[in-house]
Amino acid sequence: MNPDEARALLARLLHEIAPESDLSSVDPDALLQDELDLDSMDFLNLVTALHDETGIDVPERDYPQLATVAGFVAYVTAAAATSTT
Amino acid sequence: MADLAGAAPGIAAAPTERPQGAGRDRHEGMRHAIATLMARSKREIPHYYLATTIDLSSALNWLADANAVRPVTERLLPAALLLKATSLAVADVPTMNGFWDDGFRPSAAVHLGVAVSLRSGGLVAPAIHDADRLHLDLLMAALRDLVRRARAGTLRGSEMSDPTITVTNLGDQGVEEVFGVIYPPQVALVGFGNINERPWAAGGMLGVRPVVRATLAADHRVSDGHEGARFLGAIDRLLQAPEAL
Repeated sequence: MNPDEARALLARLLHEIAPESDLSSVDPDALLQDELDLDSMDFLNLVTALHDETGIDVPERDYPQLATVAGFVAYVTAAAATSTT
Repeated sequence: MADLAGAAPGIAAAPTERPQGAGRDRHEGMRHAIATLMARSKREIPHYYLATTIDLSSALNWLADANAVRPVTERLLPAALLLKATSLAVADVPTMNGFWDDGFRPSAAVHLGVAVSLRSGGLVAPAIHDADRLHLDLLMAALRDLVRRARAGTLRGSEMSDPTITVTNLGDQGVEEVFGVIYPPQVALVGFGNINERPWAAGGMLGVRPVVRATLAADHRVSDGHEGARFLGAIDRLLQAPEAL
């Protein structure tokens, strides 16, 4: 998965959780939780949906790495690369 | 916790078993329902308020260990522990659980109302039935399902109408404490703020612990501060032994 695909995946997953969210207006380095008014249940649903779509199981200790768009894209790109090699 | 959130547990305007029609009418209907209910609460219920700070290090250490060996679909949120502890504490102080109807009618069952904020504004406070008897895994599953359906507008009528005590959790919104408005005809509302690391003195030593502010708004016609204090104390005690929740 390349960064563009990871970003598109994030947009799709977030649309399910927060339908009004528009990722294109979010600063890649800003906290998603603040930008999109997500709560901890929303975040858990995001991580669960990521697992369902890609098989990537993010350990809880890694959650902070997914807190921004840039962080999510980097993490998922790296995790997808690891899982396919 | 789940975010679950809301300064005032409101509601009732939710249509059941059908998707929320977006729309201004629905939003205004909910605003009106919350206004009516909360005004009645403040007019009729002599609230008293208590607060305490609870050390969550045992609970969160246990949770981190439990979640480390669970797939993401089975992980627990701290909210599940807070809700379970609250529902169990009712056994110690039954005057927190039930209804006021020209006198206190205690409830044998613990149907735990959970305030859930809606993305379109407003909130609902549906019940997790028999929360005190649910295994933590089932309570967490019930919470996920309840939040999902609350936001999708597909709650059942019974869930909306029969909570016996309600919890509101504004932790995700970054506030430290919330003093709630009791949802009539209930007689108590428990609030949790965010979980923060704070300096904490224990046994003559100063350390850093994750803590949460727990608050109680209770009906003075039914209970007194002494009982309310025992109730918050019971929640604290239960959270110190998370493996037993």
